[in-house]
Amino acid sequence: MRQDIVLVGLNHRTADVDVRERFALSEHCAPDTWAIPCVQPLVEALILSTCNRVELLGVGQESEAVREHLLRSWALARHAEPEELAPYVYEYRGAEAVRHLFSVAASLDSMILGEPQILGQLKQAYRKALESRATGVILNRLLHKAFSVAKRVRTETAVAANAVSISYAAVELARRIFGDMPRQKALLVGAGEMAELAAMHLLQAGIEEMVVVNRTHERAVDLAARFHGRAAAFAELAQCIAEADIVLTSTGSTEPIIRARDLRAVLKTRKNRPMFFIDIAVPRDIDPDVNSLDNVYLYDIDDLREVVEENLASRREEAAKAEAILDEEVALFSRWLESLESQPTIVELVRRGEQAVEEELARTLKRLGQLDDSQQAAIAAMAHAIARKLNHAPIMYLKQDGMAREGMPARVSLVRRVFALDAARGRRGRGA
Amino acid sequence: MSFADLLAPEVSTAITLAVYALAGAMGLMGMLLSRASLRRAACILAAAAFACQTLILALGAHKMHPGGLTLGAYFQMLAWFVLLCALALWLRFRQETPLIFASLFGLILFLLSAPWLGQAVPLPASLKGPFFALHIGSLFLSLGLLALSFVAGLLFLFLERRIKSKQRMSGIWLDLPALAVLDKINAICALAAFPLYTLGIVAGIFWARPVFGSALSGDPKEVVSLLVWLLLGILFHNRLAKGWKGRKPARLAVCIFFLSLFSLVVVNVFMETHHAFVRG
Repeated sequence: MRQDIVLVGLNHRTADVDVRERFALSEHCAPDTWAIPCVQPLVEALILSTCNRVELLGVGQESEAVREHLLRSWALARHAEPEELAPYVYEYRGAEAVRHLFSVAASLDSMILGEPQILGQLKQAYRKALESRATGVILNRLLHKAFSVAKRVRTETAVAANAVSISYAAVELARRIFGDMPRQKALLVGAGEMAELAAMHLLQAGIEEMVVVNRTHERAVDLAARFHGRAAAFAELAQCIAEADIVLTSTGSTEPIIRARDLRAVLKTRKNRPMFFIDIAVPRDIDPDVNSLDNVYLYDIDDLREVVEENLASRREEAAKAEAILDEEVALFSRWLESLESQPTIVELVRRGEQAVEEELARTLKRLGQLDDSQQAAIAAMAHAIARKLNHAPIMYLKQDGMAREGMPARVSLVRRVFALDAARGRRGRGA
Repeated sequence: MSFADLLAPEVSTAITLAVYALAGAMGLMGMLLSRASLRRAACILAAAAFACQTLILALGAHKMHPGGLTLGAYFQMLAWFVLLCALALWLRFRQETPLIFASLFGLILFLLSAPWLGQAVPLPASLKGPFFALHIGSLFLSLGLLALSFVAGLLFLFLERRIKSKQRMSGIWLDLPALAVLDKINAICALAAFPLYTLGIVAGIFWARPVFGSALSGDPKEVVSLLVWLLLGILFHNRLAKGWKGRKPARLAVCIFFLSLFSLVVVNVFMETHHAFVRG
């Protein structure tokens, strides 16, 4: 009998964060509900629960019963009624469920298109399902395929390329200017969430040193401790700028604190080593004319926002390319799934052939009388070979992927009728 | 086809040309499609093309190939020196783009050399001796370095303009070396090229005195070469003494290379000069 794949879930598009929290099935919020018991009608199951989505994947013979079982188990685990879930839940079956899973794995369905975490979360979910022995032939194959599809999408499209956060975009630009960062020094002037995030990214990129300057020295000392850097007094700003390669500013000043005319002298003392200024403050901390100086690059918050917008647009364009890869992979997986339907018939065909050979061999050898072992073996080998050859054509007919005009159910039915497999089974049943 | 057949000038040159073309095409595709594997393969093919060409030059030295300084041989030798420098930089910086451009340049030079293929022009007695070898060797090596400083300078100018004007960075722009790396390549090439160019000119003076009767004869090639040397000296001085970095040295390196190309193509082919060597 054919096994169906069913996926039910909710995500950032269908449910607000409070609903997502309410129905989350993560280890942290509901440790005892991680695994759904695989009892009839469910044969295989997997739960993916992240901050942006909760999805349950099930395999069973009757898709409607599987869907109901998944929803009931989910609601039960969160002490709710299935009806409470209904307004937020989407569901996919068969090829659509496969496609959705591939899309999730490749991060095409994520809130931030192309973000890399989802693949790790899916791998963790699969590991958990394996430990709970909740997966079988179909989900094992499906999940491995999902991982390889995600890799293919990442390699063949630029869906994960280019920074999509302002802080990371700033670091990427620094890389375009300096290449590797281990010899660069950064200066953080002022404080602010975005500037601190950018400083953290710079630190992760491996810069040599981080200096923090703030009008409130205690705040500078605190931040410097967080970034494993050193704090400097605001009066030392000019000296600190001369030593820094990357300057991040985010002060509350209403007037620019860094001007082009001051930088000319600084550049001479630096022997024209390039400088990158990232101005995240509003109003701006750095005079825009600074960008006109040789070997000086200035990006303000609007420039960075524009970079991020462009990068997001470029990721969306790449996502369209990824859809074609998904189409191809879903078709391949569906064919494999379809081929599973023919397995029992193929096994029965082979078994019946072998049975006929054994019966006829016993009868013939009895009639032939005295034969030595090698003669008997030769006759047996010939009989088995004939059975294999006769079975070859129908087996190939069942196995041919996408080449037959008829669908798999029609092909299975035809072979069973021609070889009277159901009649043989009926006779055996009656005989027993 | 035997090994000896493979060593025939037409066959070995065709093989080298094919490997250069493959390296160039693969490198271009790698850059346009942002495929690192293609760019890596292009670099390996460029190294293979260089090895093939080295074999051809070695065979030329052993008189199995028609020798002589035809303009075709001149182009091929320049391609060899450019690739030599590009491979050294590739090994040092692991940056594929300059080597890909060098292999494209090598391909163009090889194609330009095609009309002279198979012409056996013996080297005149005047074009022999240690000073002549030093003159040619050091000048060609510095030309190879200038070609690379041109590539790095040009890429620097394009990328810098894009960053300054805050234009979108995607595809090929993300695969280019960083500005600092391009500037470093430009600096290393220019700093190494100047002493070599100077050595080449001094060796030329020593070689020219007995051959032509005087060290300098006002030949167009000499005038342009002295101009190249002067500009290279300015670049060398400002890089070292004034700490020039970025746009200015990049622009100057581009200008110097264009002037060298003018000297190589226009002066050698279209003007009366005793540096035209042997016209086959």
